[in-house]
Amino acid sequence: MNEMVGAHLIGLSSDMAIMSLLALSAYLLLLVGKVSFGQQAFFGLGAYASGVMSAMFHAPLLFALVFGMGVGALCSWLVALPTMPLSGLNYAVATLAFGEMARVALSLWYWQIDLGDGLVGPAAIDGFRDIRWLHENDVSPGQFFALTMFVLFCILILMLRSEHTRLGVALRMTGQDETLAATQGINVSRLRLFSATVAGALAALGGGLYAHRTTYVEPAIFDPMLGVHAVGYALLGGVGTALGPLVGVLFDLGLLDATHWFSGWRMVIFGGLVALFLRWRPRGFLDERLVHRFGSMFNAKRYP
Amino acid sequence: MMHVLQLLMDGLIDGGAYALIGLGLSLTFGQLRRLNLAYGATAMLASYLGAALYATQRAPAWLVAVTVIVSATLIGWYVEWMCFARSGQESEQGFGPAIGAPIAGADGREVVALASSFAIWMQLEQLAVNLLPQHLNAFPSLAAQQDWVIDSSLGELMVRPDRLLLAILAAVMVLGLAVWLERSRTGLSWRACADRRLAAHLVGMPVARLQTAAFAAGCALSGFAAFAVLSLDGQVTPMFGMWVLLKGLVAAMLGGLGSVRGVLWGGLFLGVVEAFAQASVGAQGREFATYALLFFVLVVPWKPRQALGLSAGLRG
Repeated sequence: MNEMVGAHLIGLSSDMAIMSLLALSAYLLLLVGKVSFGQQAFFGLGAYASGVMSAMFHAPLLFALVFGMGVGALCSWLVALPTMPLSGLNYAVATLAFGEMARVALSLWYWQIDLGDGLVGPAAIDGFRDIRWLHENDVSPGQFFALTMFVLFCILILMLRSEHTRLGVALRMTGQDETLAATQGINVSRLRLFSATVAGALAALGGGLYAHRTTYVEPAIFDPMLGVHAVGYALLGGVGTALGPLVGVLFDLGLLDATHWFSGWRMVIFGGLVALFLRWRPRGFLDERLVHRFGSMFNAKRYP
Repeated sequence: MMHVLQLLMDGLIDGGAYALIGLGLSLTFGQLRRLNLAYGATAMLASYLGAALYATQRAPAWLVAVTVIVSATLIGWYVEWMCFARSGQESEQGFGPAIGAPIAGADGREVVALASSFAIWMQLEQLAVNLLPQHLNAFPSLAAQQDWVIDSSLGELMVRPDRLLLAILAAVMVLGLAVWLERSRTGLSWRACADRRLAAHLVGMPVARLQTAAFAAGCALSGFAAFAVLSLDGQVTPMFGMWVLLKGLVAAMLGGLGSVRGVLWGGLFLGVVEAFAQASVGAQGREFATYALLFFVLVVPWKPRQALGLSAGLRG
């Protein structure tokens, strides 16, 4: 019994870490003042790309994940080139349209090869089965969970540390007021392209981990609701710090979904809360003001 | 030749339905300068309420229609209160972003309203699914039993009379609304509020009330469109909300959001493109064509003035 509970907890925590990566990717775009409803596309592309590498070409997991990230970053950059100059509203709708284009394209993609024991590869609408690298290499769910947490931890540390660097300040400034940022000598459009590229890579990394955890992906998973959730997590948790999206994920997956207290009413509560939050606290729970207040509590001695 | 003509006509007839769907969305956007992403979910929840009434009470079609339209209006009020009620305040003082100006960062109220309407979308959709958990739900059917076949020297043309009627109705409604907006006193006041809130306020118009009225009218239109489309299919599925939003959005954006006549041209264009995409690539090609059209409309650098994407203010 205890083992089952443990396995369930490990699975749930892995899912939460993976969703956190997607939420962080939405957060990176919110940081520069853009709402993207298309991050699920890079999640899906990363899942397919890393799955192809490990299941069809027997590449090691880490290489497959990095390859997926590369594909996600490249696609995200290519999409950001024409869409980034658009206004906030048009950008949001354009990313939504791109996300659906990618989903339909994945559901048309048929490419299977015979590896001795049957066909492997993306099979159009039926999805991509047998991404079994973890089973073939005897990686236990616990070890995979450790890997996922390690990846998430490294990314979080990197993002939190860069918050006070030149880059981090420039990103936040761009999001707050792009004209002001531009007058301070910040290349706003290049910074946004950079942000979108990194966001694509993060989403693709999450997708790669997801594909290997579940061993099976299908295009229908990458529907707009996935991307909307990612944006919702970041907006609910707060855009003041990279910890914000994690708070959102913990709240929705950890509290509303996992406990089954609200089964069937989860989206009613989550959607209503996000809307109420946006009305009275447009920058989420951990917004800049709260983060600053916390920060100044600890820094009080250094700056008397 | 006849094949192409058939496709063209099918596309135009489908396009009429798209125009009818996009009409409410465009009207709301033109009035509030906010995109209501909960538009499809509003129509879906309203039609689920209608379907529930039909399933439990065997209500006649007219009663279902009234239910759908009234509940769409009421849900629309809720959406407005949750997402858009404060939307005009910053421009009420006259200092807000100029109409058509690029939207500021993520805390720009446009984008916040967009995100919160997305959240309400999820909420309404879940409520609808909780109400009727099956995938297929019966809806009163008004579909015609027979197709019309037009014989000519070149070949046969198939026309579904019910759909043709819907397309004609859509065109009449769009053009009627456009003329009403241009000619009537209320239409003038709606356009005044959309163009210059401060000026409208100064000459004594109840700006907030007029905007709520326009929003409610848009939602009532969405309810009407939902009933009209669903009564031809005789069923409603959970995919309906997404379908309404996307088709309406593409139709409205092609013609310029906020432009009433533009919705008609946008919808007809979308219908024709989809019909040809379906004939050449299949059902998934049709789906892809919708999104690709939306994407390219947005990113194409050259645009005819005031069409494609966002237009300025509310126009007939």
